[in-house]
Amino acid sequence: MEALREILSPDFLLRNSVYTSVLVGFSCPLVGVFLVMRRLVFMGVALPQISSTGVAIALSLPLWVGFRLADHGSAGVHALAFAGSMTFSLAAILVLAFLERRGYGQAEGRLGAAYVVAGALSILLLSKNPYGEIGWLDMLKGEVITVSDFDLVLTAATLSLVLVALGLFHKELLLVSFDREMAITLRKNVVFWDVLLYLLIGLTVSMAVLSVGPLIAFGFLLIPALTAHLFSRTMRSFTVIASLLGGAAAFVGFWIAYLWDLPVGPTDVVLLGACYAAAGAVARLLPGRVGFSR
Amino acid sequence: MCQAPLRTEAARCAMNEALITLDNLNVGYNGRSVVSGISLSITRGSFTAVLGANGSGKSTLLKTVLGLLPPVAGRISAASGGIQPVFGYVPQSIQLDPVYLLTGFDVALMGTYGRLRPGHFVPASERAFTGTCLAAAGADKFAGERFAELSGGQKQRVLIARALATRPDILLLDEPTAGVDHEASHAVLQFIAQIREERNITVLLVTHDFGAVRRYARHVIWLYHGNVLQGDPRELLTPERMAEIFEMEIA
Repeated sequence: MEALREILSPDFLLRNSVYTSVLVGFSCPLVGVFLVMRRLVFMGVALPQISSTGVAIALSLPLWVGFRLADHGSAGVHALAFAGSMTFSLAAILVLAFLERRGYGQAEGRLGAAYVVAGALSILLLSKNPYGEIGWLDMLKGEVITVSDFDLVLTAATLSLVLVALGLFHKELLLVSFDREMAITLRKNVVFWDVLLYLLIGLTVSMAVLSVGPLIAFGFLLIPALTAHLFSRTMRSFTVIASLLGGAAAFVGFWIAYLWDLPVGPTDVVLLGACYAAAGAVARLLPGRVGFSR
Repeated sequence: MCQAPLRTEAARCAMNEALITLDNLNVGYNGRSVVSGISLSITRGSFTAVLGANGSGKSTLLKTVLGLLPPVAGRISAASGGIQPVFGYVPQSIQLDPVYLLTGFDVALMGTYGRLRPGHFVPASERAFTGTCLAAAGADKFAGERFAELSGGQKQRVLIARALATRPDILLLDEPTAGVDHEASHAVLQFIAQIREERNITVLLVTHDFGAVRRYARHVIWLYHGNVLQGDPRELLTPERMAEIFEMEIA
């Protein structure tokens, strides 16, 4: 309990890290719900990895043109990393969703290939980067320990924007996801709503990757949504339970990691995995839970 | 089609009440025609059935009229001063993914979204109207249950309620009784015929059910091998005429 009191104290040295983890934990499941409903779970795996490749390329670009990035402070580095992450996330989700809708090739194979190539490319780029090992590699791994006030504000602002947009346009995004043909007959601009949803997913993934790293971003995107789906009866309860579970797991994971001196991100993901397994076992005992049957 | 008894009244219906006109329309996918040369004027209050074997292009025709597929050739025009009619579309319920945690009411409520601006919440009046549509479709008793867990007939009733919630000029139904048992199928079709009469809604129904077509439809479009036959069901669905068409299909 002493560790918990320390974490909750406003003077806690790592308070920004706690706030960032919890923000990401609350926000990622909100867009993860759409990935699960649109049956784009594999995209949830590939996107954070592609996003991290965007970070690696953005951070390597100045070196390739002979520009010293270290002279421009952490805010400049963070802004550049965010631009790279966002560009790659959005481009990837648009291309992959387009190919999926057109039915080209095998979607799982395409996403698997994108995941593994993106991962390898990130490592290659950073291995040739003299600053990679001292700082930027930590960013890609999910450096959640040293979060500046600027980073926290940027994360909070971005995720608030996503939350407001999801709340305001929920009915349009749900209609286009559930019954695209119906949306067209109601003269909705389905391409616009698809792009908006992908933009919100891209923003959330980019921010999560920069804050907690690709592995943990993937965990927060999908595991809370998959767990909540086992127990929810309505879309509202599905979204709220997934978000609360993500936020709670982020906080409890930080507490456990602090208590036992473990890395925060992997602790969060293992905790979420344990919740999912336990929820799956309990759901089997309850009557009338349909899960993902078709 | 227009059922006016007087010739002058019939002419008025044809001239003024036509909602959609198909003019030498070819429908298909990726530039390849499945059915060619459909010319038809769909008038207010008519009940038209589209018949044909699997793969004959029934659903393709429906989707082209709805604007989900572009015409391969020819044109579709809104005949009443260019004002687009409001479509109430009833798809096959099997198309809708059960992973969505939506109640019957949530699904029916989507019918009102066409009148709502983005970023605006659904007002109480539209919720009440959705409740009325569910009651009219006989779906109010199970509207609170999860849509994915309803029976085939119950799902179709919810989808019809959703189509009614659009306040449609034309109700377009894609095999609404597919996978539904005989009793429920009869009830669904009887209900469609009833609301057509009560609300003067135009109906375009894709079906395999000859009995239902004989009972309810006033006009039939029969698609076979890329060709179209049209007419009154009493003339087109005689045993001799049907035998002739089936022989052509087999040949």
